[in-house]
Amino acid sequence: MARAGQTAVIGTGSARLPGATGGDQSAAERFFSTWAGRIGSRIVLVALILLVWEYAPVPRATRFWMSSPSLILGTLWDWLFDGTIWAHLESTLLVMSEGYVIGCAVGIGFGFLLGFFPRLSRVLAPLLASFYALPKIALAPLFVILLGVDNSSKIALVAVTVFFLVLTSTIDGVREVDRNTVNALVLMGATRTEIIRKVLIWAALPWIFTGMRIAVRYAFTTTLLAELIAANRGLGFLIELNSGNFNTTGAYAAIVVVIICSVLLTELLSRLESRMSHWVS
Amino acid sequence: MAEGQRTRPEASRFARDNILIWQVALVVGLLAVWEVFGRLAGGDQVSSPSRIIGRIVIWLGGELYPHLFTTLGELGCGMAIGCSLGILAGLVLGRMPIVAIILRPIIVGLYSVPLVTLAPLFIMFFGLGLLPKIVLVSIVTFFLLFFNTFTGAQQVDEDYLRTLDLMGANKFERFRKVVAPATAVWIAAGIKIALPYALVATITGELLATRAGLGFLISRAAERFDMTSLYAVLLILMALGLLLSEAALRLEHRFLRWRQVAE
Amino acid sequence: MNDTAAARDVAAAAGTPAKIRLLRAEKAFQVRGQDIEAVHPTDLDIRPHEFIALVGPSGCGKSTILNMIAGLMRPTAGEVLYDGTPVSGPNRRVGYMTQKDTLLPWRTTRDNIRIALELKSHATPRAEADERVRQMIELVGLRGFENHTPAELSGGMRKRAAMARTLIYEPETLLMDEPFGALDSQLKLLMLDQLQSLTQHRHMSVVFVTHDLGEAITLSDRIVVMSARPGRIRAIHDVKLERPRDVFKVRFTPAFSEQHERLWDELKDDIVKGTDV
Repeated sequence: MARAGQTAVIGTGSARLPGATGGDQSAAERFFSTWAGRIGSRIVLVALILLVWEYAPVPRATRFWMSSPSLILGTLWDWLFDGTIWAHLESTLLVMSEGYVIGCAVGIGFGFLLGFFPRLSRVLAPLLASFYALPKIALAPLFVILLGVDNSSKIALVAVTVFFLVLTSTIDGVREVDRNTVNALVLMGATRTEIIRKVLIWAALPWIFTGMRIAVRYAFTTTLLAELIAANRGLGFLIELNSGNFNTTGAYAAIVVVIICSVLLTELLSRLESRMSHWVS
Repeated sequence: MAEGQRTRPEASRFARDNILIWQVALVVGLLAVWEVFGRLAGGDQVSSPSRIIGRIVIWLGGELYPHLFTTLGELGCGMAIGCSLGILAGLVLGRMPIVAIILRPIIVGLYSVPLVTLAPLFIMFFGLGLLPKIVLVSIVTFFLLFFNTFTGAQQVDEDYLRTLDLMGANKFERFRKVVAPATAVWIAAGIKIALPYALVATITGELLATRAGLGFLISRAAERFDMTSLYAVLLILMALGLLLSEAALRLEHRFLRWRQVAE
Repeated sequence: MNDTAAARDVAAAAGTPAKIRLLRAEKAFQVRGQDIEAVHPTDLDIRPHEFIALVGPSGCGKSTILNMIAGLMRPTAGEVLYDGTPVSGPNRRVGYMTQKDTLLPWRTTRDNIRIALELKSHATPRAEADERVRQMIELVGLRGFENHTPAELSGGMRKRAAMARTLIYEPETLLMDEPFGALDSQLKLLMLDQLQSLTQHRHMSVVFVTHDLGEAITLSDRIVVMSARPGRIRAIHDVKLERPRDVFKVRFTPAFSEQHERLWDELKDDIVKGTDV
């Protein structure tokens, strides 16, 4: 987006110094920009919310719906040691990873196929777009009928979700390959398979990785949703079970586990990504 | 040279027609195979395109509308509430530097949480009616819109604002002339992302517990092993999804015009 | 502070009605905890209706001085007075044409130029605004580009659009930061001509930052020569050329050459020191 000559803030290049842009920062802004100010204020904010949640004087009924941090922590503590968390977590991660791997493999395979045969991909485009637009979760009951209530129906749902994401990014990747490189190779006398082997696959890799990275979060969400709708294990089931029993504390505790998982997942992904970007470039 | 240029559009139109023929042939072929297979297998287990079309036609006679409107109503209300609150909060907080500094990591963290999984919680709170789905859709879209608007509002070029300041613009004019249009792109992108999520949230809510809506039709059909109805709803849902994604594209295009030129 | 107060008293006693007055104004920036002095304490009086040019090597604080007059930066010490009152916060009586053009990317050329007239403080009836925008577009030679967005304009066109946007609401003082840097020399002369007639006509005061000595001599009443790091005023030259000046011919007069030579002598040491001009 940056255009030449647009980089300088008001004034010359020398005016592009911290503090020069806004004229002058207020003392408060400066404090909150420091490391201690930022971290400290966040901790205070979160602590304040937790304290109010815990000690707010509310009627008994409201307290039942609100539960409280200490109760939730207690439940989590129990779950941690009686193995509840681990059993459900294991099931969720298993479904998620199996569906993810299948979806990625099939998606990349089909993506290359359609990328190499552009006419085929144009013929199939409306069909793919239609399935892409369908909210995949609506397929859950169908898969349960076709495959049963156990893991395979959930895995299928995750795989389908991942498949479409990875498929589109792979097709895009193959399509975006630099035509000049390909033309140069053709002039050198490269055959079609050589071009595919030596250029297309490698050039499409960054796109495929992007698709796969986005797909991780979709796989997680889809697994949880599938577990909400029809399952007897998994974190999603844990939320559904406790909500169904009007066990507010349990429902919140399960949601806390989900939040922790997704934050860890995001963290893991960004670490992997920074590794990957080194490697790719 | 000139001749080549003249024949080119014709050639591409020919190719397009050719593709269209293939597309039609493919769809007709698939449907035919399904039809034959369905008739041979018999019963409602496999169903067949003719039965599905028949079911949709019957539904279009009246039975479908309450369910369709329930789903659309939940989606629409939820989007309207979630989007407007999200945009408002994003604009206000995004323009407060200190708040932005403190909140950013918390928001980023929450953004990655699959909020759709809160569905059972809202059903526990609000029962089986429309309310839990509307709340669910609102929450999901709120965060998407808030996050986008918040980011957009922080990226508004301060130099634009300073230029307006010197021209004597008041606070409201600064907002109208610079902050709002500069953030509109982000808002449009946010709505585009939010639409499919909102549909997923609505359907999830309806699948879990409800008495009306397309999701309800799906779970009712599944309980009765009525595959014809099940496929019929999926087809309708597919059409709805396509319509929504088309609408999102148009919206984005409308707001992105000046930006696309720049790229 | 005492210094400043004393200087103000002296100035008041002298009774010269300065439009803009820098009183021991200085500006330092903090970079990683270190103070960097951008503008050394500076005194400068700019008279009403005066056209004044700031010239000097890069990094001599010319733009910082404009920013302080515009109220976008507060002096670290000293004061900037406008009509005798200290500038605090955005100075709404100046029109500021910055180096970066800050045209709004989602608006067309026409709507960008119009924007000031849409504001309450310059509220203008629609028909009149349309007419003024049309004239202004004509004036800066952007006819045919009214409906283009900034991204579709060349660098020179953007500069002209930015100038039109600043001139259209006729601010009493004009601050310009190298407004014609990106223009080719033919167009630049045309623009200089327009700028001169407009500012003379409307009795504007102008503070004009430039690298181009010819440009400075052609337009200015006085030229402030600055030196770099920290920026300070080295000399102030009066330009003794009669007005109105013919911008196309004035540069071939002996008076012009003589002025140019004097300025060049003043500046060349700084330039040789390795800063680009």
